Amino acid sequence: MNFLLASGDNPLGHVVDKPMYGVKAPESWSAWRFTQDAGVPVSCAVIIFSGLLVCFLLWRAAKAIQTGPDSHGTERFIAKGRLGQFVEAIVVGLRDQMLVPVMGEAQTRRYLPFLLSLFFFLLVVNLFGLLPFADIQHMLAHNFVKGGAEEFILFGGTATANLMVTGGLAAICFAVIQIHSFRELGFGGWLEHLCGGSDLVRGPKGLYLVIPVIFVVEFLGMFIKPIALAIRLFANMVGGHTLMATLLMFGMMAAKGGLATWAVGTISVASGTFALIILFLEVFVAFLQAFIFMFLTAVFISTMSHHDEEHGEDHHEAHGHATAEAHH
Amino acid sequence: MTANLAPIVMLASEGGSPELIKVDTLPALTAIVVFLVAFAFLAIFVWPKIVKGLDDRNNKILGEIRAAEAAQAKAKAAQAEFEKRLEEARAEADRTVRAARAEAERQAEELRATAAKELEDMKNRATQELEGAKRAAISEIHAMAAGLATTVAGKILKREIQPGDQKRLVEESLSELSSR
Repeated sequence: MNFLLASGDNPLGHVVDKPMYGVKAPESWSAWRFTQDAGVPVSCAVIIFSGLLVCFLLWRAAKAIQTGPDSHGTERFIAKGRLGQFVEAIVVGLRDQMLVPVMGEAQTRRYLPFLLSLFFFLLVVNLFGLLPFADIQHMLAHNFVKGGAEEFILFGGTATANLMVTGGLAAICFAVIQIHSFRELGFGGWLEHLCGGSDLVRGPKGLYLVIPVIFVVEFLGMFIKPIALAIRLFANMVGGHTLMATLLMFGMMAAKGGLATWAVGTISVASGTFALIILFLEVFVAFLQAFIFMFLTAVFISTMSHHDEEHGEDHHEAHGHATAEAHH
Repeated sequence: MTANLAPIVMLASEGGSPELIKVDTLPALTAIVVFLVAFAFLAIFVWPKIVKGLDDRNNKILGEIRAAEAAQAKAKAAQAEFEKRLEEARAEADRTVRAARAEAERQAEELRATAAKELEDMKNRATQELEGAKRAAISEIHAMAAGLATTVAGKILKREIQPGDQKRLVEESLSELSSR
């Protein structure tokens, strides 16, 4: 694996999005793409494949989780198969332990499909990036295809290591948050929220001087929050993969530097071992970042809600923690 | 081996410093469209089934728990009722025993009193009978004594005493005897 994934002089070369081999976009697209590059990024293929995969896997899981016929007795309530049980455990854990304390029962029920779709979509894309499809394709094509392509990639890589991809998903979250806030608060309530809330707007007149400052901060925060979502996911994916590529690069660098075979072998084994450890960490990070993206979206949705409905003290406490985490 | 890996090295290092952030809306739009399509599919065909399955199971578990709690409450109520009735039965039994004991004592007392009364009556009757017998014996003795005395006196006086005289003499003797 060490040699398979070995990178060259710059570990970022392994991480960045690349154009699909032989696939070109029409030139007329360049205007709205804001680029003259006619290539179609390989992340597009990964996203499409991940979308299909997440639909297929969750559809299978839904069939395993759904209540069976009455003839199955009590067994009909039990999820069948490991996939169903895995998805069920995640859904129940996220819903009951994370979302309900933050959003309340009614809003969790309303936004659960969106938030869980977001989580599983990101999870599949993140995990997919840990599989060395791009490297395998490139190596196989170079060695076995007649003529040997210099850069043969049709499919593979981490799509969430592309800021445009995470930005697109964050834009959806931004739209959902704003639609929710307008529907929940109305334009007046939304504006009041941006001005610091009713306590400040209807509070002592001396505090009116603070309102413009708060408005500017809140208005900018409205955009900064989803941008931060996008950058956080992008940076974590790029960071982890860069670290792994850097570790794997050591063996190749030793070989290129003309070191003795035993030294190259020792460095390769050591760096490969560390890379393997980092790979496990990356699996965890894939789950964690998908969760954080989804959870912060839930927190941002709940901050734009009426706080006197069905939200008890527990909610406010959870809210406080969540917001604090979001700022971190 | 190194020759085989060369394309990967080139893949990573090609073009000098790779462009980490590249403005291209195509991946963003692809992500948006694919996610929205996937979300629509999941929202229609997947999440309702999963949520319903989880709700059904939750309701089933809640129903079972509530039924178990109701059964437990019913059992507790039945036990309380049983204990109450047992207590009442014990109290009733105690009352019955006490009443029976009191009745038995009353009857024993009554029997005792009746026996004592009967004994007293028998004693009185015996005493009266004895007294009567005594008086009769004394009268008989008096009569015999009077007859004997009369006979003796008649023989002494050589004179026949009439029955009227004899009776008068007896009564006089008796009255003298009583006065003594």
